[in-house]
Amino acid sequence: MLKTLKTLAAAALSATAFVSLAQAQELKVGVQNMAPWLDPGRDFSNVGSQFYFNAFDPLIGKDATRAESVWQPGIATSWTQVSPTVIELKIRQGVKFHNGDPMTVEDVVFSFDRIINATFPPYAIRKRDTLPNMARVEAVDGETVRVTATRPEPLFETLLNVQQGMIVPKKYVMALTGDPNVAEASDFEAFALKPVGTGPYKIAEFVPNQRLVYERFDGFWGEKAPFQKVTVTRIPELSGRLTALKNAEVDLITNIPPDQLEPVAADPKLKVEGMQTPLFHVVIFNTQNPKMANPKLRQALSYAIDRKTLNEALWFGKAKVPTSHSFAQFGPLYMPELATFEYDPAKAKALLKEAGYDGSPIRYDIQAAYYTNGLLAAQAIQEMWGAVGVKMQLNVTEQWTGSDPTMMARGWSNPMYFPDPAGAFGIMWAPTGNSASEGRFKADDAYIALWDKFRFSTDLAERKQAYAALMQAIKNDPPVLPLYQPYESYGMKRSLAWRPLQGHIPYVLDFRAGRVTLAAR
Amino acid sequence: MLAFLSSRLLRMTITLWAIVTAVFLATRLTGNPIDFLMPEGLDAVSRAEMIAYWGLDRPIAEQYLLFWKSLLSGDFGLGLMERRPVAVIFSERLWQSASLLLATLALTIAVGVPLGILAALWRGQPRGQGVLFIAFMGYAVPNFVLAILLLLIFSYTLHWLPSAGSATLLHYVMPTVALAAYFVAALTRYTRNAMLDVLSEDYMRTARAKGLSESAIILRHGLRNALIPVITVLGLQITTLVSGAVVVETVFAWNGVGDLLVGATLRRDYPVLQFGVLVVASTVILVNFAIDLAYAASDPRVRLVGA
Repeated sequence: MLKTLKTLAAAALSATAFVSLAQAQELKVGVQNMAPWLDPGRDFSNVGSQFYFNAFDPLIGKDATRAESVWQPGIATSWTQVSPTVIELKIRQGVKFHNGDPMTVEDVVFSFDRIINATFPPYAIRKRDTLPNMARVEAVDGETVRVTATRPEPLFETLLNVQQGMIVPKKYVMALTGDPNVAEASDFEAFALKPVGTGPYKIAEFVPNQRLVYERFDGFWGEKAPFQKVTVTRIPELSGRLTALKNAEVDLITNIPPDQLEPVAADPKLKVEGMQTPLFHVVIFNTQNPKMANPKLRQALSYAIDRKTLNEALWFGKAKVPTSHSFAQFGPLYMPELATFEYDPAKAKALLKEAGYDGSPIRYDIQAAYYTNGLLAAQAIQEMWGAVGVKMQLNVTEQWTGSDPTMMARGWSNPMYFPDPAGAFGIMWAPTGNSASEGRFKADDAYIALWDKFRFSTDLAERKQAYAALMQAIKNDPPVLPLYQPYESYGMKRSLAWRPLQGHIPYVLDFRAGRVTLAAR
Repeated sequence: MLAFLSSRLLRMTITLWAIVTAVFLATRLTGNPIDFLMPEGLDAVSRAEMIAYWGLDRPIAEQYLLFWKSLLSGDFGLGLMERRPVAVIFSERLWQSASLLLATLALTIAVGVPLGILAALWRGQPRGQGVLFIAFMGYAVPNFVLAILLLLIFSYTLHWLPSAGSATLLHYVMPTVALAAYFVAALTRYTRNAMLDVLSEDYMRTARAKGLSESAIILRHGLRNALIPVITVLGLQITTLVSGAVVVETVFAWNGVGDLLVGATLRRDYPVLQFGVLVVASTVILVNFAIDLAYAASDPRVRLVGA
C-alpha cells in the first residue's frame, strides 16, 4: 500500500514537473514602450536597449550578474592587446546567424565598419559618441580580427562589449535591398525591421511600436534559451499593465513607478523586483548663459538641493543619492569617497551673497512626462531654492532646450552607456561631449588636459587620479548635479525567477539561460 | 443631382486641402522630430545629419511642394521613426480601429434606438425617467474613466475579460462598451425626442384610425420619420467617435489608428501624421456626404441641389 502511494506520489510529481516544463515554454512580457526599429548598432535609446541582449552577441562578453566588469568569451574566444593601440581577437568558429548563415570574420569586420566608416547618418552618430577612437577593424586570417585605435586605448574590452558593437550578418544585410554586394542605406533600414543576430533567441516577429516575439534559436553557440517563445507586447498605460499582470495575461511587466508598487506587492501571487539603475536624473546648468556664468551661483544652487529628502519623498528611499558622478559599475574607478556633491543650505546662502545674486528668477525647464517624478522633483527643488532665497521660474516644456542659449537650468538624465566614467560622465561632459557640442558647457585647457589623461592613459592609477581631478573641477565650476539613481521596478508572477541585473546597461531584459525560470504554480 | 455632386466634390476637396495644409504647417512649427527621438540631446553635426537624412533640411515651401507631388503620385512617404511606408503602417492598424468602430456603432444602434423608443413611449413614467437617467450617466462619465472602471471590475478583480490587445472577440467587449456608452446615451435621447415629435403628428392619428397594430404604427410610421434627424446627429458624432477611440485604444493597449496618431503627434512623425489626418478627414467628409444621401433617401422632400 505504502509502495503504491509512493509510486503514485512520484507519478504525480513527475506529472507536475512535466506540466511545469510545458508551461515554461512561453514567457509573456508587457512593456511600456516598444521600439520603432531594432538595430543594436545605431540604437542608443532606453526603449531599444531592452531588447538586443537576447538576440545579439558582442565580441567580448561580460558577467551580467556582477556590477564590476568581469569579461567573458563572447563571439571572440580570446584576445590579446598587442600594443596600446592594437588588440587581436580569436573569433569563435561554428557560430550561426538566425537565418542559418555561418558567422565569419567578415561579419565582424562589417559590423564595425558600418559604424566607424559610416555612410549612413545614424551610424555616424554612434561613431562619434561611442567609438570615436576606433580607427580600423580588419581580418588577419579566417579566425583572427585586429582592432586598431587612433590613440592608446585603455578601454578595448569595454568598447568591444557595447551593444553598438554586436555582430550582424554582412551577406544578409547587403542582400536586403538593391545591389546584394553593396550596403546601402535602405539595407540598414530594412535590417532594422527584420533583424538577425547570433543570440539565443531569434526575432520571429517584430511589429514596430507594437510587438516583438522571440523564439528559441536551436543553433545558438552557447547554452540554449530557457523559453521556446517570449512574447513582448506594448501596453502603454500603467493601469493596463497592472491589470494584464493581475489578470494573468502576462508574466512580467516593466516601468512601475515607486508609488504604484502596492497593488503588486500586496498580491500573494505576484511580486516586485527592482534595481537602482545605472543612470542619473540630473539638474544641469547652462554655464555659457551670462546670467549663470558665476560658478558660485551654480555651487549655491547645487548646495541648496536636499537630495536625501527628494529620495525619501519621491522614491520611498529606494533610489540612490550619489556623492559623485560615479557608478558602482565602474569597478576600480568607482569613487564614492569623492564628496563632489553635498547638501549645505548655509553654504548656499553664503555663496549667493558672495556671488551677488540679485534675486532675479532662475528658469528651470522640465519635460513633464519624460522622467519619472521629474516634475515633482522640480517643484520640490523650487521650494528648496526658495528656502535659500532663490526664485525659480518653473518652465514645463515639451521641447529639449539643452541647446537653447537662454536655458538656465533644467532636468535631464545621464545614463551609463558603458561601464566606465568615459561611458557615462564622458558621453555628456567630455570636452567634445554632448553638453559642449550643444554650447552649454565649455572645457578650459586644464580640464581638457585632465580629460586626455583620464581617457587615454593606459595606467589605471593615473586614470583614477585624473578622474578624481575632473570631479574636483566639476565641483569648483558645476555644470551638473546628479540627483539620484532611480529605482526601476518590475512586477511579475511569484513563480517567475527574474530580476534586472547590475552588470547590464539600464533597462536590459535578459532572458538568457540561467537568468530566468518560470515554475508551475 | 449632378450640380449637387460636383459642388460637394469641390467643397470636399477644398476642405481636405485646408486640413492637410494646416497639419503640415502646425506640426512643423511646433517641434522637430529629432528632439523627440533623441531627448537627451545630440551634437550639432549629428543633428544636422539626421535632419538631412529625413529630408527636413529643405525649406518648408519645398517640402510642401514635394509632399503634394508625391501624394498625387500615390506615394505617401516613409514614417520617420519606423522608416516604412506610411500606407503599410496604417494598413496594419486600420482594421483594428475600423472593427472597433463598427462594433461600437452596432452596439450603439442596437441599444440606443430601442431605449429611445421606450423612453418616448414611457414619457412621464418612472421607468421612462429610469431610461433617461441611464442615458445621462453615459453622457456624464468620460470614456477613459469608464474604460478604467471596466478594467478594474472585469479584468483586475473578477478576471472575466482580457484587458490588453485585440486577439480574441472577448477583447472587444470592454473597449466597445467604453466607447459606445456616450453614443448610446446620445442616441437614446435623440431618438426619444424625435419620437415624441413624431408621435404627436396627425399622420400617427390617421394610422391609428386605420386600425394598424401599435407596433406597426410605431416602427413603420413613427420610427421611420423619427430617424431622419437621428441619422444626421449620428453622422456628426463620427468625429467624436474617432477622438474617443484615441483614448480608449491607449487604455486597452489596442494597436489602432488612434494610438498611432497620438504617438506620431508626440514624436512629430510628420509623414505618419499627415497621412493619418488625410485618412481620418476623408472618412469624416465621406461619411457626412453619405449621410446627406441617406437623408435624401429617407425623406423624399429633401432635394439635392448644388449650392
